[in-house]
Amino acid sequence: MIDRTRRLSALASLVAATLALTPIAGFAQNSSGKTPETSASTAQSAPSSAKQDRWLHVRVENLDSKDETVRVNVPLELAEKLLPTINRDRLQSGKVKVDELDCHGVDLHALLDAVRTSKDGEFVTVQSKDADVRVAKQNNYFLVHVVEKNHSARRSHVEVKIPMKVVDALFSAGKDELDLVAGLHALSAQGDTELVSVKDEENTVRVWLDSKNASD
Amino acid sequence: MLLAKLALGLGGTMVLAGAYTFHEGIMRVDEKHADGRRVQVWIPAAVVPVAMHFVPKRHLEDAAEQAGPWLPTLRALTKELEKYPEAELVEVRQSDQHVSIRTHDGKLLIDVSAPGDEVHVACPLAMLEHVSRELQANAPSL
Repeated sequence: MIDRTRRLSALASLVAATLALTPIAGFAQNSSGKTPETSASTAQSAPSSAKQDRWLHVRVENLDSKDETVRVNVPLELAEKLLPTINRDRLQSGKVKVDELDCHGVDLHALLDAVRTSKDGEFVTVQSKDADVRVAKQNNYFLVHVVEKNHSARRSHVEVKIPMKVVDALFSAGKDELDLVAGLHALSAQGDTELVSVKDEENTVRVWLDSKNASD
Repeated sequence: MLLAKLALGLGGTMVLAGAYTFHEGIMRVDEKHADGRRVQVWIPAAVVPVAMHFVPKRHLEDAAEQAGPWLPTLRALTKELEKYPEAELVEVRQSDQHVSIRTHDGKLLIDVSAPGDEVHVACPLAMLEHVSRELQANAPSL
């Protein structure tokens, strides 16, 4: 009887230990809380996280009501990987078709080529009672500056500052396409910079690039 | 003595099985409605990939077909998001409405609140990646 009890006890312990160790093996493999593939992908991403991540931030704020805000923070690397997977309407494989855009007969490529090869300077300066407009190239940046003069206390300001390398990359795809992925890739090589700033009577819009994962 | 050993073995197994079940976190959905209804769903993330193997293949294929065009995007998104375990991605605030999408502690958190209604979703990224991979594997056209 005692022998049977001991054997049964040993068998029960063996079964319990086997059952217990099965999850341990699985748990040990996934101790980081990730699947093996995930761990592999994390390991693969280690070099990329070693270099500083670049984040594109968009912030829209309502000047009258601080309760109305839109904040978007996108890692450039994520956007670069995602865009080619979206094939909808004009956006195909990370490139957007612009053939149907009305450019009023202006050959954008020729225009940009002229801007690229020219020295720093102001290309367009318009000063009128309604608005001041300035388009220039300065320190390898393409600059657009618009001040709308309305009669209210707040004037509308638009400032766009795009690195020329990004402009080149955007137009590298072909005559009728904008290569967004190439543009993002070129952008990721840039330092911290404010790309777009719009201030009008109601809202402020800012688009900028830095290495922080949240907007300040 | 025998009972004690059995209880110990069974108890140990339960604890370890529980630890394994919850080690990938929990997918949580919490809905609060203006009429007082509340829906709460808690699913251990480790269970989902296992449960997917029991879903009839035709249902998985249907789901994969419907999500088809967006599966590569979902796959890339989940894979990439795992590199950013702590990030505020989107926040929209308008008077009494609020939408937030962020990652925290390896989970994708989506919070939506409007007067009377609230939805909170917390989903482990590893689980999302696994589900998107399974769906993609079951999508014949992809």
